Amino acid sequence: MAMAVEERECEVVVVGAGFSGLAAARQLHRHGVDVLVLEARHRVGGRSFTDRTPAGFTIDRGGQWMGPTQDHLADLAAELGVATFPTYTSGQGVELRDGERHTYAGLIPTSDPHGAADGIAAMLDLDLAALEIPLDAPWETPDAASLDAQTLATWLDTHLESPSARDVLEVAVKAIFGTGSGELSLLFALFYLGAGGGLTNLARTTGGAQEGRFDGGSQQLAQGMAAELAERVVLGAPVQAVAYGPEHVTVTARLVTAGADPADPEAPHEPLRVRARRAILALAPALCSRIAYTPPLPGNRDQLSQRMPMGAVVKVHAIYDAPFWRDDGLNGQIVAPRSVMESTFDNSPEDGSHGAIAGFIAGDDCRRMEEAGPGARHAAILDELEAAFGAKARTPLELVEQQWCAEPFTRGGPVAVSAPGALTALGPALRRPVGPLHWAGTETATKWCGYLDGALSAGRRAADEVHAALKGTDVGHP
Amino acid sequence: MATLEELGEAYAEWRGRSNGNPRLTKMVRGWDRVIQFRTTDNGLGFSMRVENQQLSELDTGPIEECDVVVTGTSEDFCDMFWGDLNPSEKYMSGEITLQGSQEDVMRIDAISMVAFLDA
Repeated sequence: MAMAVEERECEVVVVGAGFSGLAAARQLHRHGVDVLVLEARHRVGGRSFTDRTPAGFTIDRGGQWMGPTQDHLADLAAELGVATFPTYTSGQGVELRDGERHTYAGLIPTSDPHGAADGIAAMLDLDLAALEIPLDAPWETPDAASLDAQTLATWLDTHLESPSARDVLEVAVKAIFGTGSGELSLLFALFYLGAGGGLTNLARTTGGAQEGRFDGGSQQLAQGMAAELAERVVLGAPVQAVAYGPEHVTVTARLVTAGADPADPEAPHEPLRVRARRAILALAPALCSRIAYTPPLPGNRDQLSQRMPMGAVVKVHAIYDAPFWRDDGLNGQIVAPRSVMESTFDNSPEDGSHGAIAGFIAGDDCRRMEEAGPGARHAAILDELEAAFGAKARTPLELVEQQWCAEPFTRGGPVAVSAPGALTALGPALRRPVGPLHWAGTETATKWCGYLDGALSAGRRAADEVHAALKGTDVGHP
Repeated sequence: MATLEELGEAYAEWRGRSNGNPRLTKMVRGWDRVIQFRTTDNGLGFSMRVENQQLSELDTGPIEECDVVVTGTSEDFCDMFWGDLNPSEKYMSGEITLQGSQEDVMRIDAISMVAFLDA
């Protein structure tokens, strides 16, 4: 059966309505450029996803925090009138280790103080090394080849004497990257830490990357950007193919009927073809490479995508009628090396009208627990919550999981990482345009890479590139 | 509130402990700095130097130039020097603040935590 193809034309087509794509499109739109954003899902926000649970509680299933120096994010929130409030941090954290429970204050568990001191000294060494990385070109670091030829695990194994410190740092690494340290190029890890102001900064709540939250959820920021773009954002339009020449691009998507699953190849849809002068692909590298390109992308660009896999993470919410752990002087943070959900935070609403613990099952724990299945996973989560916060914690009103690896249009989280060897050999391909194709997404950010703030700055950088290119070639305009 | 004498006594203890700690001496290798302390409750000011991997005696004289300024209550500084207070807790609550370059702040933050943990 022949289907009518919907044809559209614009100056710039943006693929992906996450924070990065929307920031790029909005900036171009404000410059008077005719843009169209194609988003695979029936929602905007990408890895930011604020949702209502079956029982009606609002939760952030994805990226949710804001910290100092994340100015793009702070300015956007202020502009859109989205209020922020501090992450709850009063009281002590709980360390679960080898079947024992300890409480601690400050940045890292202190049941083994000399081990903790060892960990702090190593974090300082990492952070000082990260200061040496040129964030716009990590491959130009002196000694880049040697740093990129080893994993972060190799470095940690060599620099830490204390097994307890090694365990705690592995918890931090998994929470930050969604992978174990053995999957990460040391050069990439140092770049990433440097882009966020250091491991200490990334691990912190107050004064660090987890300092603040958005009242009503982070996805409002994406919705606010999309509202300005109005009908220029097309939802339910997964892009299948990109054909490009030196100065033009044609993007083909399936325009899936509202209510149908865009990931289902059998879903009712109409073909949509968009012709533009430039395209911005605001997707993680692994997702960019799932689109068919004509002509094929340069070898190095595709090789890079093959070597930047997504981290693996399940974000868990345990919801209670009250944040009862606060009454016991606890801040809701758990550090539980070698468990299933190794780190948690208090994710209750600001008014404390109900309680919520958000936890992360990351890296190999995520993969192992996918194999184990939901029954074993839930049992392990509840055992851990009970061990940390007492019997009340065993019976949450709801236990909600967001398995990012199972999301067809994300396929992991929180960020794409770089395997050894990739940055030095292929790094320059990350942001380098291919003809009329430009690359955005938080993975292309040089500050706060992997974070919502990095997604915004990356989108704006891509928009600047495109805007300059359009002005340069469009001689007919005044 | 703690007096300058009390702070000096506590600092001397902290200095002795720190200068004898191999982990700490390694952490300040190649990092010679002047660190100033200012108390918010009784307006005291004093400074110390890190030189050749050793902490100097407390200097209560006029301060000309410094690399890092640490601000907090005299009581908290006293407790920190005696090793009774986890400085990381006070940074996180904003009760002790650090001003200086990113590297210097990172160092002081880590050094003071290690001094506490290794006490």
